[in-house]
Amino acid sequence: MSEAVITLDRVSASDGDQTLVEDISFTVQRGEAVALVGSNASGKGLVLRLCAGLEAPASGTVRVLGADLASATEEQLLALRQRVGFVFAKPALISSMTVFDNVALPLRYHAVVPESEVQERVLAHLTECGVAAFRDRMPADLMLGVARQAAIARAMVMDPDILCVDEVLLGLDADDLVRLRKILEQYRRAGRPTIVATINAPTSLLRVMDHLVLLRDGRLIAACPPGEAALVVDPMVQEFFGSQ
Amino acid sequence: MIAWTGRKTVEGLEFAAAVLVLGLRSFRELFSPARRGRGEVFRVIASQILFTGVDALPVVGAIALMLGLIIIIQAGITLPQVGAGAFLAKIIELTLVHELGPLVTAFIVIWRSGTAICTELGNMQVGQEIAALEAMGISLIRFLVMPRVAGVIVAMVCLTIYFDFIAIVGGFLVAKVHLTIPIQVYLEEIEGALSVSDVLITVIKSVLFGFTIAVICCHHGLSVRSATTEVPQQTTRAMLHTVTACLVLDIIVSVGFYI
Repeated sequence: MSEAVITLDRVSASDGDQTLVEDISFTVQRGEAVALVGSNASGKGLVLRLCAGLEAPASGTVRVLGADLASATEEQLLALRQRVGFVFAKPALISSMTVFDNVALPLRYHAVVPESEVQERVLAHLTECGVAAFRDRMPADLMLGVARQAAIARAMVMDPDILCVDEVLLGLDADDLVRLRKILEQYRRAGRPTIVATINAPTSLLRVMDHLVLLRDGRLIAACPPGEAALVVDPMVQEFFGSQ
Repeated sequence: MIAWTGRKTVEGLEFAAAVLVLGLRSFRELFSPARRGRGEVFRVIASQILFTGVDALPVVGAIALMLGLIIIIQAGITLPQVGAGAFLAKIIELTLVHELGPLVTAFIVIWRSGTAICTELGNMQVGQEIAALEAMGISLIRFLVMPRVAGVIVAMVCLTIYFDFIAIVGGFLVAKVHLTIPIQVYLEEIEGALSVSDVLITVIKSVLFGFTIAVICCHHGLSVRSATTEVPQQTTRAMLHTVTACLVLDIIVSVGFYI
């Protein structure tokens, strides 16, 4: 039986007086891979942050892993964030630490495993993301694609229930894209973690997804499987999937 | 004019409240028994002590030596001329140990470490590193603010004692060519003039200055929103606010001590 890990119910969010997303409702089931699809400024980044519990809604209800974000205490939010891996559009690696220490940081801070296991787990995730060769480099020395892969390794190292990736295509070359698609397919087969990613251009990664949430100007156009997206009557969606 | 004054007063009070809350939260974290992040926090404290304290030894030593030399030469030559040679040790105690030691050390720490803390946190904010830490469930107070506060306090206390020692002993040795007092007599006079409360007041000032510098600089660094141009603006504000706060605290402690 499927279990909802993320539920957005009539959610609106704003920045000061400006409403950025309005009346968004959708559900993500455990083990699913879901893409938030839309052009720039469609509000998909904000919806992703809402899904990860990094933003509070102005109205509506957001439930992540059973917790209602509106009533969660700071301690509950900190605990929740250990179960949600988040990759920002910028790599956001800590600039004073090597790639290895960056990936090890959440494990060491939360003291979940002994140091010997930290070494093992970090190296395994760096290898999986294809950046083990850069383990001793500082973030400033990395190309964007490599830094993003390291950021994905850092988000995955805590073995999260949910992986959120903002602008998943950013900085990836063809090889990176193939590697990422394989990783996502592997996660999807394993049914863990649940994946939510934002995508702003047609890509083969869409085929890996179970559901697409289509957004325009901060509003939900449709939530459907990838195969049905081309049938959605909307000029943006038609243009997006027509060019694939 | 009235509106401007009112607005500035409200802004000032909001700033003071925000800094106070940040300071209290970091103070609470310092004594929190929580195991979470202990190793990482100790690493940050150690590197802060290394940068603020150990790396600053040459510059603090040089400035202490020069200031000690100036004051000892001036006092050592002028005081006997007006029949007040017996007050040399008292003058040195008041100017170097009570006032210049903590204050000049604080200014050096502001100039070196305060700017560095504010710039580092500001750049981390711009690079979304702060947001990434929050997303990983890492407490900003525990991981970023508290270790810097603890590191700067420890470094400030050690640097102030080092400053006083270099200024008193080093300054005298260099000034010896102009003075006729034997070092033994000089040191005995200094020892006689210094009491436990003198040392205590110096340590109290160092702790207060270290705490103030670190908290205000962390507050300004974390106040950067998203533009790199905000980093130097916040750093300039942090310098102004820390210098002012240290001077005000110095007056309060000194007046309180003498009253």
